Amino acid sequence: MRFFGKTNIDFMGKRKMWYAISIIVISLGFISLAIKGFQFGIDFLGGTELIIEFSQPPDVGQIRTMMDNAGFPKSELKAYGGETRILLRTQLQGEGTVVGDRIKAALMQTFPNLNPKVLQEQKIGPKVGLELRRNALLAVISSLLAMGIYVAFRFKFIYGVGAIAALFHDVAVALGFVSILGGLTMYTNFEIDQNMIAAFLTIIGLSMNDNVVIFDRIRENQKMFRSMGLETLINKSLNETLSRTIITSGTIFIITLILFLFGGEVNRGFAFALTIGITTGTYSSIYIASAVVLDYTNYKQRKKVVQQAVVEKAV
Amino acid sequence: MKKNRGKLIFILACILMSLYFLYPTYKDYRYTQKLRGLKGEDSVKYIEQNELDIRDARMKRIKLGLDLQGGMRVVLEVNVSKLLEGMAKNKDDTFTSVMAEIQADAKTNPDLDLIDALTAKFKEKQIRMSRYYFTIRDSDDDITKKLHDQTTEAIDRAMEIVRNRVDQYGVSEPSIQKQGGRRIIVELPGVSKETEVRQLLQGTALLEFKLLINPEIASKVYQTIDKTLAGKPIVDSLSADTSKTIASKTDTTKIDTTLISDTSLVAANQEQAKSREQAMKEHPFFALATSIQDQKEGWNGELYTAEENRARVNRILEKPEIQKLIPSDMAFVWSAKHKFISEGKKYFILYAVKKNPELTGGVIVNAHSTIDPTYNRPIVTMEMNSEGARDWARITGANVNKRIAIIMDNACFSAPNVITKITGGNSEITGMESVDEAKLLEIVLKAGALPAPVDIIQQATVGPSLGEDSVRQGIWAALLALGLTAVFMLVYYSTGGTMADLALLLNILFVLGVLAAFQGTLTLPGIAGLILTVAVAVDANVLIYERIREESVTGKTLSAAIDAGYTRAFTAIFDSNLTAFITGVILYQFGSGPVQGFALTLMIGIVASVFSAVVVSRVIIDILVERGIHVHFG
Repeated sequence: MRFFGKTNIDFMGKRKMWYAISIIVISLGFISLAIKGFQFGIDFLGGTELIIEFSQPPDVGQIRTMMDNAGFPKSELKAYGGETRILLRTQLQGEGTVVGDRIKAALMQTFPNLNPKVLQEQKIGPKVGLELRRNALLAVISSLLAMGIYVAFRFKFIYGVGAIAALFHDVAVALGFVSILGGLTMYTNFEIDQNMIAAFLTIIGLSMNDNVVIFDRIRENQKMFRSMGLETLINKSLNETLSRTIITSGTIFIITLILFLFGGEVNRGFAFALTIGITTGTYSSIYIASAVVLDYTNYKQRKKVVQQAVVEKAV
Repeated sequence: MKKNRGKLIFILACILMSLYFLYPTYKDYRYTQKLRGLKGEDSVKYIEQNELDIRDARMKRIKLGLDLQGGMRVVLEVNVSKLLEGMAKNKDDTFTSVMAEIQADAKTNPDLDLIDALTAKFKEKQIRMSRYYFTIRDSDDDITKKLHDQTTEAIDRAMEIVRNRVDQYGVSEPSIQKQGGRRIIVELPGVSKETEVRQLLQGTALLEFKLLINPEIASKVYQTIDKTLAGKPIVDSLSADTSKTIASKTDTTKIDTTLISDTSLVAANQEQAKSREQAMKEHPFFALATSIQDQKEGWNGELYTAEENRARVNRILEKPEIQKLIPSDMAFVWSAKHKFISEGKKYFILYAVKKNPELTGGVIVNAHSTIDPTYNRPIVTMEMNSEGARDWARITGANVNKRIAIIMDNACFSAPNVITKITGGNSEITGMESVDEAKLLEIVLKAGALPAPVDIIQQATVGPSLGEDSVRQGIWAALLALGLTAVFMLVYYSTGGTMADLALLLNILFVLGVLAAFQGTLTLPGIAGLILTVAVAVDANVLIYERIREESVTGKTLSAAIDAGYTRAFTAIFDSNLTAFITGVILYQFGSGPVQGFALTLMIGIVASVFSAVVVSRVIIDILVERGIHVHFG
C-alpha cells in the first residue's frame, strides 16, 4: 500500500505565506497568554491543592463560601475531568500541612452528605515552587540550545539556527493553543506544570527528529547534485522525505490523540500539547527549519554579490 | 545465516535477559491475582506457604510509582535557621537581630546559604563568631566550616530518625533517600493515614537509657506467659484471622502427613510444619519468640522473633490477661535492626527493660565513632554534660555487669554491658560488628541531644482509587496505541510491516526488561513515555522502509535495495534519535518525581527502538531473503 507516489510540490515557493500564517498563529497564542496569563500548575505556584470526589455534583458556590470561611479567600476551584471531581487550590502557605488539614476538615463539615473523598493532596513549599519553575525554564532553554548546537556541529551553523527557529516555533504554538483552549471546557483545564514542560521537551525532541531527517536528506542530495540550486534541492529533498514525514507524524499524531482521549486526566494536558506540537513539528521542519536555511543562504549570497559589486566599483 | 549468527545470538540473549528480569513482575502479578480470589483465612494460609517466593517476586518486580499505586511522598528539608538558633549559646539582642535579618534575606533569595550569610553579617558588624558558637579559640573560618559540617550531620540524623520511625510503623517498601545536602525524600506506598505519618516524620527524637531486666526474672515472666497461653486455647481477639489459620493449618497437616511418605520434599516440609505446629501448641509464646541458650554464659535475656511475627508477639503482650502477668515496672522493646537472618527471615531482638528510663538523651554533649587503635575494632565514644555525668556515674556504679539499652523512639539500637563505674561522663561503647553499626550508634546518640529540625517542604498524597483509574486508563491507551500502530504497519508495509511489528513488540519487552533490571519505577508519565516509544520505534522502521522503497524504484535488486536502505537511513536514524535522547537526559536532570519516570522510559525506549529497528528487523529480513522468501515492502 502506498499513500504517496512521487510528488513534486513546490514547498519553498510559498514559504512567505506560511511565515505570515505562523506569525499570526503565534501572535494569537501570545495575545491569549497576555490576557489570560500563564495558568501555572500547583508545582510551579506553590501552595496546597486537593482533588476531591463527591458522590454527587456539589454546589460550586457553596464550596467557594466554605473556602472563604475557612480562611482561604481567592482559592481556585476547577472541575477535574468531570462534574463530581473538584480541584481546590490555595496559594496560601502554612506550616507543615495544616492548610490541607483545615480544608479537609471544612469539607467534611460542610458536605457531610456528599461523602467528599480526597483523591489527591499536594503541598508545595514556596521555595520548591520557585526551584521547579527555574528548573523548568532551564530545561527548555538548555534543550533548545543543545539541539541547535548539535545540529550546527553535525551539519552547518545555519542549520542549527533553522532548527532552533523551528523548535521555538513549535513550543510557542503549543503554548499558545494550551492557553487559548485552556479552561474553555471542563476537559481542557490545562495547566503549565511539570508534565507540560515534559511535553514541551518531547515536542522539541520529536520535532528535531523531523528536522534532522530532512537536513540529512538535503546534505545527501547536495553531494549528489552539486550544481542544483538550493531552493530546488530543498524542494527535492522535502518531496523525497514527504512520505516518511507524513507516515511518521501521522502515527505519532494518532498515538498522542489516543493518549489525550483515553490516557486519563493526569496525562491530558501533556497529551494535548504533544498532539499540537507533533503537528506543528511536521509543518515547521518544512516551512520554518528548511525555509530559514534557504532564506539565510540567499541573504548571504545577495550580500556577497553586493559586496563584490561594491568591490568592483571601487576598483 | 552465518554472517548474522553473532547478532542472532545477541538478540536471543537480550530477549532471554528481558524475560528473566520480567519474570518476578509476572509472578507478583499472578500472586496478587490469586490472593485477590482467596478469602480471609485461605489467603493468609497461601501467604504463609509461599512467603519467601512472594516476597522475592515483590522485591524484584517493576515498581509502580506513587501516582499509580497510591501513597504518600514527602520532601523534608533541614531547617538551617532553626539549627543555627538551636546551636547558639549566649544568645543576645544582637544575635537575634542578625538572625532576623538573614531570615528576611532568605525569603527573597532562596539560594542564600544561611551559614555563609551569617558569617558575612557578623564580619560586617565586626563580631567574632566564637561569641555564639563553639569555643573561644575557634577562628571564624573554623566555625563556618564546623557549622556546615553540623548541617550535614543534622540531615544524617534526621534521616536515621525518620528511617527508624518508618521501620517501626511498618510500611511495606518505603523509600527514604537523601537529595542534595539538605533534603530527604520519603516515599510511602499505600499509606493512607496521613496525619499519623506526618507526625511520625517530624518532631524531635526521644533517646532513653533503660536498664535491661535481669535475665532470670525475665525468663520467669516469659515462661508464665508461655504457660498461660498454652493452657488455654488461643483465642486472639485482635487477630481472629491468624488464630484461625493456626487451627486450619493443624487440620491440613494432620491429613497430609498420613498420606505422604517422608521421601519427598513436600513431606519434609510437612514434617517441619508439623514440628512447628507442635511447638506452637506446646509453647505458643516461645515458638514465636525464641531464645538461644549459651551453655557457658547462660541466657542473655534476648528473645528472637522473625520480622513477620513481631506484630503477633506485640498483640500477645498487649492482651489484658497477659498484662496481668507482667511486673508493673517491666516493658518490652524491639531492636531497631535485625540481629541475624535465618531461612530468609530477618530476626529481631525482643528486650525486656525497666519501664522508666535511667537517663534521657538530653545530657549527651557529643558522640563519636572511631576505630580503637589497640584492638582495631570499631568503638563509639560518648560525652555527657556535668549533670548527666553525675547521674551516669551513679547508674553505672550500681549496675556493673548489667546491660543498659540505648533506645531511640522506642527502638533499641544497642544494649551494652556496663563494665565499670563511669565517672567524668566519658564512656566508650564496644562490641559493634562493623564501622557502619558504630556510625549508626553515633548518629542515634547525637539525635537525643542535638536538634535536627526538618520542615515538610513538599507533600503529595495520591488516593488508591485515583491510582487504579490511572493504571487502567494508561494501559488501555497503551494497548490501543500499540494495536492501531501495529495494524497500520502491517497494512502499509506488508511483510516489512510484520517485521516492524515484531521489532515493536520486542522493543516494549526490552524497555520493560531494562526497567525491571534496574529496579526502575513505572509512573503515569512513564506509561506515556512507553506509548511514545512505540512512536519512536515506528519512525525508525518507516525511515528504513521508505528508503528501501526509494532504492527499489531505481532498479536495484531486492537485497541490494534492502542493504542500501538500511545503510542510507542509518545516519538519519542515528542523528534524530540522539537529539531526542539528549532532550530525555535534560528532562531527567531537571525534572522531579514522575517526570523523571517519563524521561527514563523515553530514554530506554529510544535506545531499544534503534536497536530493534536497525539490528533485529534487519537480521530477520536478511534471513528471510537468504531463504528465498520474498519480502514485500508494500
